[in-house]
Amino acid sequence: MLTSGGQITSAILGAGLAGAILFLVRRDHLHGPYAVWWFGVAAATFVLGVFPGVAVWLGRQTGILYAPVLPIIIGLSLVLIRLLKLDIDRSRQERRIRRLTQKLAIIEQELVRLGGSTAPEPSSDDDES
Amino acid sequence: MGSVCAESASPSARPPVSPRPDSSDPARYLAVIPARDERATVGAVVAGVRDAVGCRVLVVDDHSRDDTAAVARAAGADALTLPFNLGAWGATQAGIRYARRHGFAGVVTIDADGQHEPSSLPQMFAARARTGANVVIGTCVERLSPAKRLAWNYLRALTGLRLEDFTSGLRLYDAHATEILAGPEASLLDYQDVGVLMLLAKNGLRVVETPVSMQPRRSGHSRVFASWPVVARYMLHTTVLCLAQIDAGRRRTRIKEGVAAC
Repeated sequence: MLTSGGQITSAILGAGLAGAILFLVRRDHLHGPYAVWWFGVAAATFVLGVFPGVAVWLGRQTGILYAPVLPIIIGLSLVLIRLLKLDIDRSRQERRIRRLTQKLAIIEQELVRLGGSTAPEPSSDDDES
Repeated sequence: MGSVCAESASPSARPPVSPRPDSSDPARYLAVIPARDERATVGAVVAGVRDAVGCRVLVVDDHSRDDTAAVARAAGADALTLPFNLGAWGATQAGIRYARRHGFAGVVTIDADGQHEPSSLPQMFAARARTGANVVIGTCVERLSPAKRLAWNYLRALTGLRLEDFTSGLRLYDAHATEILAGPEASLLDYQDVGVLMLLAKNGLRVVETPVSMQPRRSGHSRVFASWPVVARYMLHTTVLCLAQIDAGRRRTRIKEGVAAC
């Protein structure tokens, strides 16, 4: 339970972060698997913020002498996993974008050959990505 | 005058994948020319290719700021216009996918900047007929700068691929090679270089090099050797790629067929 000023601060931070995440999920800014992941993060943040004894208990169970460091270690690990997943997703999307772009150009040329269209106009944007 | 270079070949010991019986006719190939801001030279290259081998020509305009595609069409080529810049390999792969979609027997690629002589394309087909290779690379070793030689020595050691030039854009791919290179596995590559060659080696395809004449670039510059930071980035990326696929180039014993001055 909340027995000190520090614990009250952690509870406010945990509840605030959890609330912000829930708000984003509810407004559909985070959806699908992202929503599930961040919902889990919100729940963990809330529990650890309001009930800091859980971290102490987990520390004892896992043999970590300084229990408050446990949430930090777990948090950093999860952040790294999340970053890895983000890059995997970005690579997959990059592959799809490149192939879609190629297909678009191919189909455009096929339309030209079929006589159903004039030669495509050069794109005016400067997107170099 | 272009310089003529030594011939080298690096086939795998495994027999090549048999080409289709009707795949040796150059007229059944598609010439793919990736081009970016090459209006000054692309017309002559298209005309040269049509004269040399009589095949259909496809220029892939990699989001040029000039009228490269219009010049290519005026010279008798078809043209794909990419809505944004995909890089040299992305443009080339678009051409390869077009070729497969339209039933071509294979693809020859040639740079749009005028450094490759279209008249050397028959040599490429002859080399393929002679060796039965799936891929023929036109190389000009004498034109390699000391920096390139150093880089290629490093990549040879790293990949196990015994090739003289990893980035030559003058290539012939048969139907099996285009089938592999048109796939999603090749879509995240940036250059027609080590990644492409390792993908081919991983699939057991046979690659040979044949000496050709080359001219100095009439316009533009190498996309790989544009500046030292670009080179450094390229070598770093390529090293990681090689380490990830370190077994690809070494899976089969490679035989040096011969090196002859010409």
